Amino acid sequence: MATPAKRTVEFFYDVISPYSWIAFEQICKYRGRWGIDLKFKPFLLGGVFKASGNDTPSTNSQKLKYIVLDMNRLAKFYKVPFQNPPNMMEMIMKGTLSAQRFIVAASMDLHDKATENISRQLWMRLWSKNQDATTPESLFEAARLAGVDENQAKKLLTRMKDSDVKDGLKQNTERALKNGAFGSPTILVHIDGKSHMFFGSDRFHIIAHIMGVKYEGPL
Amino acid sequence: MTSSGFSQVGRKTVELFYDVVSPYSWIGFELLCRYRHKWNIDLKFKPFFLGAIMHYSKNSPPGSNLHKGNYAGKDLHRLRSYCNIPLNAPSDVAEVMFVKGTLSAQRLLTAISMDLDDKAVEDVSRELWLRIWSKDKDITEADSLLAAATNAGIPMEKAKILLTRIKDQDVKDKLKERTETALSHGAFGAPTILVHVDGKAHMYFGSDRMPLIAHLLGEKYEGPLPELSKL
Repeated sequence: MATPAKRTVEFFYDVISPYSWIAFEQICKYRGRWGIDLKFKPFLLGGVFKASGNDTPSTNSQKLKYIVLDMNRLAKFYKVPFQNPPNMMEMIMKGTLSAQRFIVAASMDLHDKATENISRQLWMRLWSKNQDATTPESLFEAARLAGVDENQAKKLLTRMKDSDVKDGLKQNTERALKNGAFGSPTILVHIDGKSHMFFGSDRFHIIAHIMGVKYEGPL
Repeated sequence: MTSSGFSQVGRKTVELFYDVVSPYSWIGFELLCRYRHKWNIDLKFKPFFLGAIMHYSKNSPPGSNLHKGNYAGKDLHRLRSYCNIPLNAPSDVAEVMFVKGTLSAQRLLTAISMDLDDKAVEDVSRELWLRIWSKDKDITEADSLLAAATNAGIPMEKAKILLTRIKDQDVKDKLKERTETALSHGAFGAPTILVHVDGKAHMYFGSDRMPLIAHLLGEKYEGPLPELSKL
């Protein structure tokens, strides 16, 4: 019997979004089980918000309270070591432009595993260890903990300023927007030449359903 | 005492705050109705007024953003087949949701919750959702509300009395009180689900936190159970 072609799933995310972290860990765990070709697409959530006219849910105080509650529940349920940053709004305001460019550079110059590990380390800094993710030192440390060697990590830092890296981030953001993105994560599932856009970390049962595979909750 | 499935004492209470204007509330409603026996929960229907929730929590409906609105349409269409709920968007969503609204429908449900039993509240809610979110039918006129009530098995005479009750102060107050209760638990949209475990109320928003609710209850969530659909 012929093996069916691997389905491609594009995962658009920004490490500023803790829900994206939950989704990222889920889809990484299901990647092998579902036999999908998972493509990491770091984008800039600020750009997505601006172009789509959307705003972060945390600007509404009732929603913000709930999000903190919801994130803590999800983190426990999915076993992601999320911790509320004490100065969440301040951290969010600092933004992730350099972090996202850093991940794009990794995705262009290194292999998928490095992109995955660096992303995870950046989420760990922001949403678990209450650490900065804007300075070169912070990004360097994240790359080192992700298993990238010293020279390569230094090179990634210089690559962030290159226009192909900047353009790569822009292109990912535009591609997501073109597919209807208004937040993060945005997940594009390709089946039979058609792409299906999903928003958020809570649609895996439906993604599994349309792919004809099984979603069994947190692994 | 052992936690026998028959013990009323061990039964956990789940309060579902909803407004039939909200299609995601319909999904939450049907899923909880399907799991009611499996999870052995005491499911309490709490019709509230979403317009007031949005106002006081300073939230705005997702449809007010074009991209979100487009996605919600797609998302609901996917949930329609996945959950086996015959959702269809009304031809003029904005008119139905924001101009015509659901104040009388929610007052009718409140009157039913005060004067009749849970079963009647459940059945009339479902009929109202079928009208607004499946058949593109009105739910603001007296005749529409009567049709929903009688389709749900309420005799015409009784339905007419319920319709007069929506102008009574105690019914209006009850709807207000429920809306305020939801707000005091942090509500900013519909459905708002309050799960009572160990003397504590746990608030959940939306129809997509069932796995977490099951986890809290010490039960299992096995998907939307389309075979238990009452539609």
